[in-house]
Amino acid sequence: MIKDITLGQYFPGESFMHKMDPRMKLILTLFYVVSLFLVPDFWGFAIVGALMLLIIIFSGISLKVVLRGLKPLMFIILFTAFFNVLYGGGEPLFPEIGWLSWLKAEGVRNALFMIVRIILLILGTSYLTYTTSPVMLTDAMERLLRPLKAFKLPVHELAMMMTIALRFIPTLIDETDKIINAQKARGADFETGNIFRRAKALIPILIPLLISAFRRAEELADAMECRCYHGGEGRTRYKVYSFGWRDFLALALMVTVIGAIILLMIF
Amino acid sequence: MPKIISISKLNYAYPAEEGKAPHPALHDVSLEIEEGEFIAILGHNGCGKSTLAKHLNGILKADSGEVTVFGMNAADEEKVLEIRKNVGMVFQNPDNQIIATVVDEDVAFALENLGVPYPEMVERVNEALEWVGMTAYRRHAPHMLSGGQKQRIAIAGILAMKPKCIVLDEPTAMLDPQGRKEVMKTLLRLNREIGVTVILITHYMDEAVQADRVVVMGEGEVVLDGTPKEVFQNVGLLHSLSLDVPQTAELMYALRQEDIKVPIAVLSVEECLDELEKQLGGIGK
Repeated sequence: MIKDITLGQYFPGESFMHKMDPRMKLILTLFYVVSLFLVPDFWGFAIVGALMLLIIIFSGISLKVVLRGLKPLMFIILFTAFFNVLYGGGEPLFPEIGWLSWLKAEGVRNALFMIVRIILLILGTSYLTYTTSPVMLTDAMERLLRPLKAFKLPVHELAMMMTIALRFIPTLIDETDKIINAQKARGADFETGNIFRRAKALIPILIPLLISAFRRAEELADAMECRCYHGGEGRTRYKVYSFGWRDFLALALMVTVIGAIILLMIF
Repeated sequence: MPKIISISKLNYAYPAEEGKAPHPALHDVSLEIEEGEFIAILGHNGCGKSTLAKHLNGILKADSGEVTVFGMNAADEEKVLEIRKNVGMVFQNPDNQIIATVVDEDVAFALENLGVPYPEMVERVNEALEWVGMTAYRRHAPHMLSGGQKQRIAIAGILAMKPKCIVLDEPTAMLDPQGRKEVMKTLLRLNREIGVTVILITHYMDEAVQADRVVVMGEGEVVLDGTPKEVFQNVGLLHSLSLDVPQTAELMYALRQEDIKVPIAVLSVEECLDELEKQLGGIGK
């Protein structure tokens, strides 16, 4: 059930995108998002779309997988489009058909504009998570946010929490399965009844899960202390990142795209 | 051999929960541990053996008495890193002591904490993985490995610190027989080949007989302390502490109850067989 969600998932691989430095990917994704919001017209989208096409080709992940990831968001996209059509101004598209008078040119244009923007937004950010493992992502975030330590932001602690949370997801999913089976073996019923009854049936799963999570946390804390964990102070890192030719190439491409969009905005 | 750990008159009680008396766990425990020893600590559940282990590297602090580790007081906050670097600890559940999502990153965790520079770190991670025989799995996700493999990763994570002493708190309790064998083999090799002092808390007798020395605990006190042969002579006492004895010792004990003159300290199956043949041969004649 939980395993079916492709949004935010990571697909291991050896592609150009996979081999890029996660820090660069994170920065470029930010640029990408900003550039999407700067785009003044459909020509702009054509440029960003071309960039997206390159990303798709050089990530080795088929578009089909990605489109499946879009499906759960279809509702939000259509919802946004609907209201854009409704509240758009301008001339009616079909003046001779009376009941279609609410369909106005600008509204339709706005709606299309929004749809393309949202889809490109989701695609771009998805490819970041598709090609970067969660741990690398947290790592990159920790490194990029390090200067904020000066403002007393607990960067290392936040990253450590994220890493541990990610590490324990599979463990806790396994445990949930075990508890569900144990409760079923004792005659618990999770499948029938209305939504309230089903929600109530979850309590005998959640409580043991919570208790066990606390017990694990305590043991993990001991184990971490035994391995000399004492916060971020004086820590060295096992993973060393360095920017390579791929990163500079991608950066150059992104800068070109942003430049083109700015030119479009001016003219 | 120099003494590396000495515990004298150690007392500890767990803090009281609301409305309850404090729960005493250790009572006047004194113990000396020499460098290079392989010690098994036996005892039934709740006898204080895990509590004792947690005093050896300052996870718990003594109420009274003293624990001296490599000349340092184990409760000394200032020296806590130095102590933990030298006395590594492995726990029962491998899932709850693996921090990273990739094997070699987890092995590197302690080294990162100690601020070991990168090139040396890589070397030590490789070495530690080599020792436990997990080099082939270095880029695997720990949750895909078997229990025995996970526990060996946990041991590698400790080994990377190059500790002089490793304390293991029932490391095989959650493993299948195959995993238990793997872990035990690794520990014996570490002890015999590079002289790491091993303190193994266990309730498996077949593991305890492989140690140089066995310490039996009951109700927060040290009850017996000696070589496996010495300790497993006390079959009656061990039974009264609700502990098993190795099957061979059990058999000898039963025979002696029947007034058959066999030596009591027989631990290996071969020795046991020899004794039985001797006895049967005698009757035959």
